Amino acid sequence: MTTTDESPLDTDIGAAPSSKGFLGLSESTIGRLRLTAKKSLNTWRIFRGNRIGMAGLGLLLTFFIMAIFASQVMWVLAQLAGWSTAYGPFDRVAVVGQGTPPSQAHWLGTDIWGYDILARTIYGSRVSLMVGIVASAVSMGLGTAVGLFSGYWGGWKDEVLMRITDVFLVLPWLVLMIVLATLLPGGPSVTKVVFVIGITGWSSTARMVRAQVMSTKQRAFIERARAVGAGDYYMVRKHIFPIVFPLVFANSILTVALSILSESTLSFINLGPNPTEVVTWGNMLEDAVSGHAILNGLYLWIIVPGMCIVLVVLGFTFVGYALDEIFNPKLRKR
Amino acid sequence: MTTRTSTKIIIRKAANSLVTLFLVIIVNFVLFRMMPGNPVNVMVPSDPRIPSEYKQKIIDQYGLNDPMPVQFVRYIGDALTFDFGNSFSSINTPAMSLVLDNLRWTLVLVGTSSVLIIVIGMTIGILSAWKRGSFLDTGSMTFSLFFYAMPTFWFAMMLVVFFSTEWKVFPSDSALEYGTRFTFTLHSIGDLLKHLVLPVVSLTIGTIAEFVLIMRSSLIDVMTEDYIVTARAKGLTEMRVLRDHAVPNAMLPMVALIAITLAFVVGGVFQTEYVFNYPGIGWLTIEATYSLDYPVLQAAFFLIAVVVIFANFVADILMIYLDPRVRLS
Repeated sequence: MTTTDESPLDTDIGAAPSSKGFLGLSESTIGRLRLTAKKSLNTWRIFRGNRIGMAGLGLLLTFFIMAIFASQVMWVLAQLAGWSTAYGPFDRVAVVGQGTPPSQAHWLGTDIWGYDILARTIYGSRVSLMVGIVASAVSMGLGTAVGLFSGYWGGWKDEVLMRITDVFLVLPWLVLMIVLATLLPGGPSVTKVVFVIGITGWSSTARMVRAQVMSTKQRAFIERARAVGAGDYYMVRKHIFPIVFPLVFANSILTVALSILSESTLSFINLGPNPTEVVTWGNMLEDAVSGHAILNGLYLWIIVPGMCIVLVVLGFTFVGYALDEIFNPKLRKR
Repeated sequence: MTTRTSTKIIIRKAANSLVTLFLVIIVNFVLFRMMPGNPVNVMVPSDPRIPSEYKQKIIDQYGLNDPMPVQFVRYIGDALTFDFGNSFSSINTPAMSLVLDNLRWTLVLVGTSSVLIIVIGMTIGILSAWKRGSFLDTGSMTFSLFFYAMPTFWFAMMLVVFFSTEWKVFPSDSALEYGTRFTFTLHSIGDLLKHLVLPVVSLTIGTIAEFVLIMRSSLIDVMTEDYIVTARAKGLTEMRVLRDHAVPNAMLPMVALIAITLAFVVGGVFQTEYVFNYPGIGWLTIEATYSLDYPVLQAAFFLIAVVVIFANFVADILMIYLDPRVRLS
């Protein structure tokens, strides 16, 4: 990585009055911000050159806009197509019981419950993305914490934590999720699904972080820091975490992809969020099965939500791989 | 000297596996008994039509009113003898025998797919790593990533749409013709094979991507090692470098990654069986979540855990013999 070139952002921060502190921030904070900005900018430069990463980013931006502005998107489409109203995901716009093929009024047709498939697909992106991101954050947080402490402490604490990690690593994720989703108290809800996915997916992160911490611990600067009297907390926060973080970040984006797949699978087998309250692509597909979409020839009801899952997951996977290539020293071109 | 260290490693791995198994038993126990509320309400179907004598019988059978430690010790015994009581939905059938019955069907499906996954997946992985950057590599990577991103259940549904509804080539429901039982006759075997095609395709394609990606990156790692350069410098043909030096070494991480691959295969099996109504262990488990058939759910969960832990243990042992570095470190 090049660190010598001056970025415009860099000079901006540098121009701020540094003696009194900018915006009331202390000088060291500004220095740190400056470094972070510089690093992110460098990462972005490398990322921009990665075609797959940029393709993934494009896909993700599309879906994020779709999710955040779902109702506005529907409104714009309604204006363009001349529909009387912008359909919502739970508006019955057709007769219940048969479903209709695509038409001017319903571009993707309606399902047998009389819902507009296009509207449900667009609104469905909300829960799918949200669950994916939050669940991934949960499992990343848990995995990083376990990995940091396990790798840093070593000894019997490490042994205990690793045996617990093994259980979650070894058990097939889908089976564990099915059992948890069935047995945990409370009805079906978004929170429960987030919890189930988060608690199932942290173990490989813990392993990765632990390995990274253990190799970092061997390095000379750690010994030096300890020699000048750095405490455990300081050591982990200042020296070990910053080294582990980029890897965790790249990995968390790949985990979002897996979490979204998990959510759709759970929703598909009826263990996802309550389908009468929220619409997700997974429970649209479940609806399609219980509504005999295949027999009724309503193929778009199956194809469209499925393709959305594929594209979003691909988006996160592409971006994750691109970041992994930047942050993971092992993967850099030799 | 080395044999002594390998014995030591084997003992340690075995101990680790046993600890993992024990933790799984604890998880199983805690999940199914210690949930908030009365465990009786959790274990006993809360259907008002069920007579109270039956509920009492279940409470007695599981000893649900005994103190927790007593229950736990008994539970360990039950788990080790694979006894999880009778199924709730099939009266008078032990849950474990129901699970084992269905397991046979799953093994047929998984066995067939595994062969295909290993042969095809490894070939594609090796070819694309070898010809890194070529058209073939880009093509197979695109293919793999696309199927990696695709939910297996959705792919299975697409197969049903095209191959059994539109073109009516293969049946999409169950493992045999409705109402028949498997016999060793030509007709029955043919029927089974016909029903097996779509599930096998679904499971194979749904899982193969993971395999291709791992195999490719592992071989790429190996290809940059010094001994490959040496082999080339000795004037060996590319084919021999690949066959004798690169592939055997690239197989090592593959063996070590059995755990992860197996988890994906199990996930794929569950989804495939569910979509095709294929009467295997995945289908049974998902059905059990609907009917809240806890004994079956526990039995299936425990059996899968045992199988997976054992497979991991075997992979670890294999690694000791295949990779001298494990012995030496």
